Amino acid sequence: MRSGSVGVGRSLAALAGMVLLGGILSVAARADDTVRIGAPLELSGRFVTYGAQTKRGIEMAVDTFGGSVNGKKIEVLFRDVQSNNQDAVTAFIDLASQQKIDFMIGPVASGIVAATVPAWRQSKPLWIVPGSSSTQLEDGMKGENLFFHTYPWAYNYHDGTAEALAQVVGAGKKVAIIYSDGGYGREQLPWAKEFYTKAGFNIVATELVREGAADLNPVLQRLRQLKPDVLVGIVQTIDGIQLAKQVQVAKLNIPFLVGTAYPQLAEWSGALGPEAADGWIGATTYLPGMDRPADPTHPKLFPAMHDWEAAFRARYNRDPEFLDVTSYTSTMLLLLAIDEAASTDKEKVAAKLASLDVKTMLGSSKFAPTPGGAMHQAFGQMVVFQRQGNKFVIAFPADAADGKLIPRK
Amino acid sequence: MIASRGLVLTLYVLAAVIAVALPFGVGPLGVNLMLRAGSIVLLGISWNLAANAGLISLGHSTFWGLGSYAALLMADRLGWSFAASIVPAAALGAAVAVALAVITGRLRGIYFAIATLALSEGLRAMAVMLPDVTGGGAGIFISQELRPDARTVAIVTGLGAVGACVIAHLLSRTPFHYACRAMRNNEHSAQMLGINPLRIRVTVLALSGAIASFAGAVNIWYGGFLDPDIGFDLHITILAQIGPILGGINTLAGPIIGGLATLAISELSRSWLGAQGYSLLVYGAILIVAILYMPDGIAGALRRLRPAPPARSIGS
Amino acid sequence: MSLILQCLLDSVLLGGLYSLMAVGLSLGFGITRIINFAYGEFIMLGAYGAFFCSTLMGIDPLLSLPLVAAGVALIAAIIFQLCLGRALRAAPINQILLLFGVGLVLQNVAAILWTGDARSVTTSYSLSGEQVGDITISDGRVVAFLLAVLLIAILLMWLHRTELGRATRAVAQNRQAAVLMGINVTFIYLLSFALNAALGAATGAISSFLLTITPFMGFHMLVKSFAIVVLGGLGSIAGTLAGAFVLAFAETVVAYYVPEGIGWAEGVAFVVLLLVLIVRPQGILGQSEGVA
Repeated sequence: MRSGSVGVGRSLAALAGMVLLGGILSVAARADDTVRIGAPLELSGRFVTYGAQTKRGIEMAVDTFGGSVNGKKIEVLFRDVQSNNQDAVTAFIDLASQQKIDFMIGPVASGIVAATVPAWRQSKPLWIVPGSSSTQLEDGMKGENLFFHTYPWAYNYHDGTAEALAQVVGAGKKVAIIYSDGGYGREQLPWAKEFYTKAGFNIVATELVREGAADLNPVLQRLRQLKPDVLVGIVQTIDGIQLAKQVQVAKLNIPFLVGTAYPQLAEWSGALGPEAADGWIGATTYLPGMDRPADPTHPKLFPAMHDWEAAFRARYNRDPEFLDVTSYTSTMLLLLAIDEAASTDKEKVAAKLASLDVKTMLGSSKFAPTPGGAMHQAFGQMVVFQRQGNKFVIAFPADAADGKLIPRK
Repeated sequence: MIASRGLVLTLYVLAAVIAVALPFGVGPLGVNLMLRAGSIVLLGISWNLAANAGLISLGHSTFWGLGSYAALLMADRLGWSFAASIVPAAALGAAVAVALAVITGRLRGIYFAIATLALSEGLRAMAVMLPDVTGGGAGIFISQELRPDARTVAIVTGLGAVGACVIAHLLSRTPFHYACRAMRNNEHSAQMLGINPLRIRVTVLALSGAIASFAGAVNIWYGGFLDPDIGFDLHITILAQIGPILGGINTLAGPIIGGLATLAISELSRSWLGAQGYSLLVYGAILIVAILYMPDGIAGALRRLRPAPPARSIGS
Repeated sequence: MSLILQCLLDSVLLGGLYSLMAVGLSLGFGITRIINFAYGEFIMLGAYGAFFCSTLMGIDPLLSLPLVAAGVALIAAIIFQLCLGRALRAAPINQILLLFGVGLVLQNVAAILWTGDARSVTTSYSLSGEQVGDITISDGRVVAFLLAVLLIAILLMWLHRTELGRATRAVAQNRQAAVLMGINVTFIYLLSFALNAALGAATGAISSFLLTITPFMGFHMLVKSFAIVVLGGLGSIAGTLAGAFVLAFAETVVAYYVPEGIGWAEGVAFVVLLLVLIVRPQGILGQSEGVA
């Protein structure tokens, strides 16, 4: 090894460089005539799909709002967290604690959001999370007044679906549940069991599968012997593709196949083709082509679904997806709250945001506390839908339904 | 250049003082960066120690994860504080490292490396599959009451990094250093010189594991949240190696310079290009270029710039 | 219990797929002694290649496979010329990180160009299965198995029957002697690297209709191939094949018969690997110096 003092000397020089770097990074354009929103998002790495959608929604909302609020220009500071926890924490601290930004949107992936919660506590900005269904998060944010969640929680997926199925299938029928070994699957499992049992079903199996597993056949063959009436697959999208594919190949002939969010995704159905995707049931707050009207007071900010979708397509040359809609709506609500509060004080804006009652594309924007303790939850009301042929048919709740659930061939 | 003991001592004391004082002079971002810098230096020194003895580890996240989970579980299940949990976490890392050294016996080079990879992937699978023990995929938050001030953690990390440098430095002054070098070159021949390879392996790996576990434990106290993806992150394994390689493997300053350079590149590329999502791409490209054009690392490149030292040289 | 037959069938079919996946890595390592940490990304490129041939031009992956493999091999050759030539004499750890950097770049270029959305190819056989008594036979997996067998057979024939193939084996056995015999070793290295990529791409093309395609699919497959190669013995193709089937059987049996087995199956792979390394580090069929 090299002689010690040279090494130490170089190291101190490097350390000085780091301090300088920290200084460079901390210098922020601190203009008082802008309203700054921090957006640490997954713009690369494995959650890039979610981050990219969220970014689109935010940008479109800012532009539609007019680019400025209360006479000040809106500046959104995007930071790529690279789908990595350490970077997410650094980015959040940079934006919220160092640059003292009071309004934060994102991240959206469950694991990443969880990692940034402790960082949020350092300065507690007004935080909108249009993602993460993890009840771990709900628990960690109990009683927090500045936390706004605009995405379903894990349990929201299953209460409606179980009830909808009970009406069609009848009592005492058999349900088999497949769940993934990550946080996603394990968190939802107890809720699924609770709701399906409450709806009168008999849960005959709960099978674990590995996230990213290449072959789900062993589980499926075991299930075949049990002849369930309903199969519930609590997995992420990629595993959902593998599951649907192998269910098709294995010819399990289960009349009702239930997913969580993935059956609505173009990504999922595109990878499967029409035959394997047909008949799958899911729950969501947004379906493409839904007929939601504009808000009467703010039609330009919260347009009718069809109009918004057309504008989105014109702007981005692609069909909108769930997170595009969610982040657009969340951002727009924030901007409206800042406008109506006529202030950038986070407490005042939070109070205004919590009291807004706007008809958005995802439903009513009224925030309400959840049984789990989170103070501000919106858009948890889900509709249950089924893919029938080329269409989505909404089967539940009754006031939104335009069809019924039917068994697969 | 062989400097006097006094000078070296002064420099280390100075470094320690900076480690204690710095968090009070910089904002929250600075504290965060200091913590990350300290972590990457600790990982680099830890990895380098093993690499010096010819033990290339491709699974360094093993020790980081063990330290993280040990600290987390002590906090969550036993209610222990930051101060109380650090030493046991490091000890666990050392113990597993010793077990690894003994079990892998005479495995060398690529085989040892693969064994470390297998261990880290296996531990991650276990962390996911045993949610009652580890909190599973959903993860666990450290309760707010137990969490220390961010600056305290940063100071401990900084002092830890300085301490690791001191350890590495001291080792480089002892016959131990030559024993490691001999083992790196040819383990069989080393045995003929009277070196006991197993004893060296155990010592080296125990130190390496302890330092990496310490880093993981401290990091989790700062971060406040742990799940298997954070604990046994492949990213950590990569981070542990990039520093020493960029900076110059088998040198004292290499892991430090390389580690800090890596962090700097990562942060700068993220803040300049971040919004576009190109940052990981640039990071990879820089990695390629650096390895291609600086095969001996930054330290090696710097060495070539200095005038040739006098005939007697200690450096490798 | 009728599950036994199903379990056996699944193991064999999986073993075929694993064989093809690992053989590429094994070949590359056996000859160049470089572990290609970008191998997973070559698989990924092959998968995307087959996907785009299928969606843009309607060509079935089985037909586009040769084209895709050749394309990826070309990319690999270019990478070799640009980067690896210099690194051939560098320390192994430098090579590993270099190729890892290449893999990182490829992954992120793919994510930027093609987004992170999951894709898959749907063919007539990918979703159909045959029911024979209590056993379900997946057509897609049978096709994959047959293709894997065919490709490996072609590879072995090439290695043993052609001039170039023999030269390659010579380099693997004894580099100095090969040089003395007038073999252009650097060219052989280039060829092996390209071949390694081509086999990976072939695996990718097959995966395109069996599995889900994402830019990040490669690393997981790299790690598994790695485990198989070491299990079977570094540098021995026969060993790699044996290792592939051993691992496939172990994983499938655990998945069928152990509660929560699929979750543990991945861990099993590494436990087996550790055991092999401790008991017999050269693997099932390897020799201490790793002769092809």
